Amino acid sequence: MASLIGFYSLVLGVIISFIITFFSVKNFKEPIVFDKKIIHFSFLQFFLVLISFLGLIVSFVNSDFSNETVFNNSHTTKPLFYKITGTWGNHEGSLLLWLLVLTLFAVLFIIKSNKQPTRYRILTLLFQQLIILGFFIFVLKTSSPFNYIYPVPNEGLGLNPILQDPALAIHPPILYLGYVGSSIIFSSTLAAVVLNYISKEWASHIKDWVIISWIFLTLGILLGSIWAYYELGWGGFWFWDPVENVSLMPWLALTTLIHCILVLEKRLLLTSWVVILSISTFTLSMCGTFLVRSGILNSVHTFANDPERGLFILIFLFSLIFMSLFVFFFFYRENDKTDYSIFFLSKETSIIVNNWFMMYFLSVVLIGTTYPIFLEVISSEKISVGPPFYNKLIAPFLIPFLFFMAIGPKLKWVKSDLSDKIYLILFLIISLFLSIFIVQNFKIEFLLNTILITFAFYLFFITVRDFVSKKYKNLSQNLAHFGFSLFILSILFNNIFATEVITNLKVGDTFKTEKFNINFESLSQKNKQNYKSIVGKLIIENSKGSIEVMEPELRIYNQPNISTSEADIKTGFLNDKFMTINIVQNQEYFNVRYQIKPFMIWIWFSILLITSGGLISMLKKKYEN
Amino acid sequence: MRIKKYFLIVFFIILTNFSFAEEKNLQNEITKNLRCLICQGQSVYDSDSEFANSIKSLVDQKLKEGNSEKEIYEYLKVRYGDWILYDPEFSKNTYFLWLLPLLLFLFGGAIILKLFNIRKN
Repeated sequence: MASLIGFYSLVLGVIISFIITFFSVKNFKEPIVFDKKIIHFSFLQFFLVLISFLGLIVSFVNSDFSNETVFNNSHTTKPLFYKITGTWGNHEGSLLLWLLVLTLFAVLFIIKSNKQPTRYRILTLLFQQLIILGFFIFVLKTSSPFNYIYPVPNEGLGLNPILQDPALAIHPPILYLGYVGSSIIFSSTLAAVVLNYISKEWASHIKDWVIISWIFLTLGILLGSIWAYYELGWGGFWFWDPVENVSLMPWLALTTLIHCILVLEKRLLLTSWVVILSISTFTLSMCGTFLVRSGILNSVHTFANDPERGLFILIFLFSLIFMSLFVFFFFYRENDKTDYSIFFLSKETSIIVNNWFMMYFLSVVLIGTTYPIFLEVISSEKISVGPPFYNKLIAPFLIPFLFFMAIGPKLKWVKSDLSDKIYLILFLIISLFLSIFIVQNFKIEFLLNTILITFAFYLFFITVRDFVSKKYKNLSQNLAHFGFSLFILSILFNNIFATEVITNLKVGDTFKTEKFNINFESLSQKNKQNYKSIVGKLIIENSKGSIEVMEPELRIYNQPNISTSEADIKTGFLNDKFMTINIVQNQEYFNVRYQIKPFMIWIWFSILLITSGGLISMLKKKYEN
Repeated sequence: MRIKKYFLIVFFIILTNFSFAEEKNLQNEITKNLRCLICQGQSVYDSDSEFANSIKSLVDQKLKEGNSEKEIYEYLKVRYGDWILYDPEFSKNTYFLWLLPLLLFLFGGAIILKLFNIRKN
């Protein structure tokens, strides 16, 4: 029943899409007032998709296995919470969520844009409606979440256990708010180009949307990383996995956009660059969808492979790109009122330099992710591009990047001079000595690390000094840059000073190292709702005599029959202690992996700091208005 | 003065908590750069599958026999193909991969320089 309602409200949604288009075109020709009908129908469309989505949730909650999606991804013994989150833990449901967010943003745009010119509003909604319609057809034609199965199975196939996790339950919705948020940036940019409305007013109006998408995308990626850290059982949080990269690319583009839109807002410069970036942000999001949904990538995220879906997104993606190119080349006019002068030492220059590096990072990630695919098609040779590639190409460039991040914000608009040079030099020297002191290792492979730490400290000290002396011109910027220095420092220390032990132990064994002993004390078994749990108790006694009890867990799920390893993590202010156990096939031994990871929590915290920088810049603007 | 105080605090935290970088285990370093061929996007180091375990002991054995890191990669490449190496070699297949980002960086720099020149005139 719920599935049926869900299906029909989706179909109604498509019809509404045509109605909105009709009224928008009509209104666009006579734009005296903004037609209320467009508002009403947009709201109606959003509610229809919402009902459809709720219908799917109800089917999941009731374990209605006559619905194919529910059958494939749910099970009666699954806890209620994961029945609900299972709704978007699969291809069909997550696309419906995507559609929901698309229509939500259309409604939000109507509400928030009432001070903008009527024709610009209508045209933005038209472009947005085009994307919505594309996704409607995609959902209904290739990925309907409401397919009917007969005879009705008694039991479902269950949700992949590694997805049954609180962080991962909210990861997709948050991430999608970021991904799909960029659709409104795309639509409004195209509209502004067509109407020649790229102006300072437009920049400050669209900035909020950029920052909102950016905040959600950042949080979404953060949640995914935290999940990978404790769930995948190897203690890492970023593996340069193609699907991680796919979320990083729009993030890099958005971060670049946040910076260069300031130049547009203040100086009306770089207009065409802003347009290109806005378009590419959404295009990159779509590319990501294509790569993930088509099954081209070899990754932990791969959904069921279906060439038809991949083909549809590819065609849709190319139509959008083609349309944007068309709009850009036929309608884009450079503004003649612009004052072109850029002086070498100025905030504009520093932002251009930022954009330059960000684009380089983006190109590394883009090429690293897509190159193997092209190579395979052309020469049928398979290569892997993994962490070493990205580290080699990105790490050296972070050095000047960090330096410019420290100096750039000190410059003023138009023309500037560097004040208190003594401090700037003094801090650099102190940072250098500090990092040499910390690393204390002069082997060549540590040279890069030492220099990186030096410049990360440099940014750290300069931003801290600005906080302390209240010299910052822009709190949100200072906070975000401070967060970034902390982020780089934490990652570096986390890499350099990590300790790890991997060994095979059976109950009763003790493993000795110079600094600590690991004693495998006992194993216990428990039955839970939909899995069996085996918990090991291991005691770590370090040379100073302090004792830590670690209880890593193995879970054997009933449906699907998969075992997962749940790490036991003791999070501390200065380091995390991380332990997992795994069964060694056909033996009584367990594979025990114990890691001490310095500054782990600071990595998460620094990302939150960076995000709050964005949040503050939005709130501050509200106060000023 | 205030700054000095902060430095002291930072120094203190670092002093009390770091034991200096240990010699990294070469086997770990190598297996981190190898793809576990039967897993979904995991390295040999990170995986506990049978395949990964057999590669781990193979690497261990090769190291004991006195093979260098490079020789081990070469050996695995011949047996399993380039697909197993996470660090793609610089060869005719990967010129573009390694050089294109750097060329784009130079290209970007050139555009920026030109921007300044135009503005000057």
